[in-house]
Amino acid sequence: MASDEAFVPRPVIVTAALTKTFPGVKAISDVSISIRAGEVTAILGQNGAGKSTLIQILAGIHPSGSYSGELQMEGKPFAPINAEEAELAGVALVPQEINIVPEMTVAENICLNAEPTRWGLIDVGARKAKAFAALCEFELDIDADTQMGFLDLATQQLVVIARALAKNVKLLILDEPTAALTENEALRLFDRVRKLKAQGVATIFVSHRLGEVFSIADRIVVMRDGRIHGDHAASGVSRMDVVTEMVGEVTDNTPRRLEGNVQEPQLEVRNLTVFDPVDARRARVEDFSFLVRRGEVLGLFGLLGAGCTEVGLSIYGAWRGRSTGDILIEGRKVSIARPQEAIELGLGLLAQDRRDGLIGDQSVFDNMMVAANARGHPLRSVDRAAQRRSAADLMTMLNIKAKSLDAETRTLSGGNQQKVQIARWLVIDARILILLDPTRGVDVGARTEIHKVWLDLSKRGRSFVIVSSDADELAEVCDRAIVMRKGQKAGELSGENLTERALVRLATDG
Amino acid sequence: MADKSVTMNSELNTNSRSRLDILTSSMRAPRDSMLLLVLAAVWLFFYFATNGTFLTQRNLLLLALQTSIVSLAAINAVTLIVTRNFDLSVGSAVALVGVILALLTVKYDYGAVIGVIAAIAAGVVMGVWQGLWVARIGVSSFIVTLAGMLYFRGLSMIATNGATIAPLPDSLTDLATGFLPRGPSIAVIVLAFLGYLLFRLQDLLRARSLGLAPQLSSDLARIGAPAVMAALLCIWLASNQGIPYLVLLVAICATAAEVLMRRTRFGARLYAIGGNPEAARLSGIDLKRMIFWNFVIAGFGYGVTGVALTARVSGAIGGTAGLFLELDAIAAAIIGGTSLSGGRGRVLGALLGALLMGSLNNGMSLMNVPIFYQNTARGAVLLLAVAIDHLSRTRPV
Repeated sequence: MASDEAFVPRPVIVTAALTKTFPGVKAISDVSISIRAGEVTAILGQNGAGKSTLIQILAGIHPSGSYSGELQMEGKPFAPINAEEAELAGVALVPQEINIVPEMTVAENICLNAEPTRWGLIDVGARKAKAFAALCEFELDIDADTQMGFLDLATQQLVVIARALAKNVKLLILDEPTAALTENEALRLFDRVRKLKAQGVATIFVSHRLGEVFSIADRIVVMRDGRIHGDHAASGVSRMDVVTEMVGEVTDNTPRRLEGNVQEPQLEVRNLTVFDPVDARRARVEDFSFLVRRGEVLGLFGLLGAGCTEVGLSIYGAWRGRSTGDILIEGRKVSIARPQEAIELGLGLLAQDRRDGLIGDQSVFDNMMVAANARGHPLRSVDRAAQRRSAADLMTMLNIKAKSLDAETRTLSGGNQQKVQIARWLVIDARILILLDPTRGVDVGARTEIHKVWLDLSKRGRSFVIVSSDADELAEVCDRAIVMRKGQKAGELSGENLTERALVRLATDG
Repeated sequence: MADKSVTMNSELNTNSRSRLDILTSSMRAPRDSMLLLVLAAVWLFFYFATNGTFLTQRNLLLLALQTSIVSLAAINAVTLIVTRNFDLSVGSAVALVGVILALLTVKYDYGAVIGVIAAIAAGVVMGVWQGLWVARIGVSSFIVTLAGMLYFRGLSMIATNGATIAPLPDSLTDLATGFLPRGPSIAVIVLAFLGYLLFRLQDLLRARSLGLAPQLSSDLARIGAPAVMAALLCIWLASNQGIPYLVLLVAICATAAEVLMRRTRFGARLYAIGGNPEAARLSGIDLKRMIFWNFVIAGFGYGVTGVALTARVSGAIGGTAGLFLELDAIAAAIIGGTSLSGGRGRVLGALLGALLMGSLNNGMSLMNVPIFYQNTARGAVLLLAVAIDHLSRTRPV
């Protein structure tokens, strides 16, 4: 600790040698940490570093007994078996996706599942009073009768925090609270967090954004691969050191493909601005331009809320909100308002969530042919034999492991489902593939195989835009990567500069 | 397109000859065969319970006729439920079509041909109307067709002032109650049988030329055996009086619907939409347009079903014609394996479902079971069928 402080604040929670294993993976191992009152502790780490597991254990979401190691709260053993018990003990978790009922009023949301009652009926007056008290306590000037859905995102988040604080909180956990917030909204949030700190509440702040972390945190804990790799006073560590600890010692000698093979531009995007579908004035992506060459694998890297997914969906005409800007395919200006127009121009998209991309109840064959059947005159008959032939060929080529072409797609593993989606676009010979978080939930072996498929296809002239928050993967497979931060281009990396560390640094350094 | 993909793949120099065993499509519809077994059991039960009356040629023909209207409506129901849309309006829509047909032919003395064309056109207009509400304005089909159920029925009553309009011209009534003579009937059955075999053979040969179907003879047997059985059964049924025109109509409509749903891109899109609308959208399917046409085709179905029903009873009864038809149709479709959550369902299954429900009615009537008991039994069958549907689907995704 800093030398000018004689007294060390008392710890609220102390963990000793926490280890939790999920089938096949060690989510966290041997985590010992103490969280002190009146202190903001930031936990940093890449996806899969174990941050979520740790905070979920503290919040009782993983019940005591499902992990080894010990927890102490204010010196006494603490073994919550569910979230309710942890909450009662004073741990409040505000998750990334805040859980509110937008149709209900602020008061109803604040008292949700804890409604004051009188004679067995909800005491509406007392509920309003309780909500009013909670809002006042947190200095939020909102009418408790406002419908929750009418508030902006930041205010909703503040209401959720107020709700959490209404229950005598000792430890407040904020899981990536600023991912969906604008700069100003984030500042408002930090303001409140500082006030709580002054009241002696311990705060855990999970984030990727180094700028924010350094402005708000007193202490920075870095996790990687389930372990703690650094525990610093925020004033005593540099950003570069933190990034290094997040990424680890990387042996970065992936052979990059020679530039100058084929260089004609395949897809060019100029000045793309994408607006929020609900709040049409809020720009999620601003003035973003990039270019993909034929046969190039381009990565689009950014943290949650950076706007990468938005870019992918709007190029494809699948974004639900408004967007402006120019798209050029092979040098020709085109307009794409709907997915079918994108497909006609040779684009194909792999959805972020495989449940959005596949028809789980239908066969592998049917899933491969969806895009083919979506084109052409509806009354044109289907040449089933020819379709089965090409489906069978693709199954072999991509090495899709399924009982048969008629196996239901949901019975396949994640990696094979991914390949079925790729096959769908190969059937109609798509030239540009946009992949959104393509290997999420795919195991390591299958991942390598899928990477090989991409590289093979790119060598045959297909272009890839891979939107991912997995820096390691992008550094490995991409020819070039663009990093986004808060809806804007933060930088571009290629050749030897394209490393996991550089990606993370560019994305978090804001 | 398909050709292109084939060349593209061979260009990639794949070698899949060793994996041809995975290509023969497995039996895709175990539910259908299970339904056949249930149907056989029910028939056998009634055979003994009625001292053989149930399985006479005469009664089976009657059963086919009794089932025909529900079958037509059930075909409609399948095409809509596949895309997760409900049609509660079919009974009322059919009544309104009947009223239009009867008014034109009885009251205004237009000929049967003009009457039928106008009636079917009216059905299509109703389909367009409901399609616009569902696809363009985005009101749920449940609501749109619930409203349709009410005002189509209301319009029928207004137009007829609640009276029955009868009798229809003989030419129409004859079509619905008449029989195709024995000779031509058998010729039609044989031709249909041969046509079906040729079609499937052509399929197999095409598949073989693409290296897909290694055992031609066993595939042929698998396709041919049930077809031969069905053809023989039909010939036996037709051997006395011939085929009722109405049954012929059902067969034609079912074939057309089956081809539309299974062999055209339109049908493939409908299944994709029902299976996962988001995946369909991202694959470039125009959901709104497809759903709109989905309803237009249903409207055509209203027209055909309405004409058939009205001709069969030789008059239009605005108040009661087609009452509860929507429920029977949905029940038949569900029993026949159509999934309420969309993306699954076969026309053939719905016909079997309608036949099963019809058999229960017919058999229990022969046994002199009071109507209250009949309804109770049918309700139980429906519940059982839906439970099976649900249980068969509650596997992890």
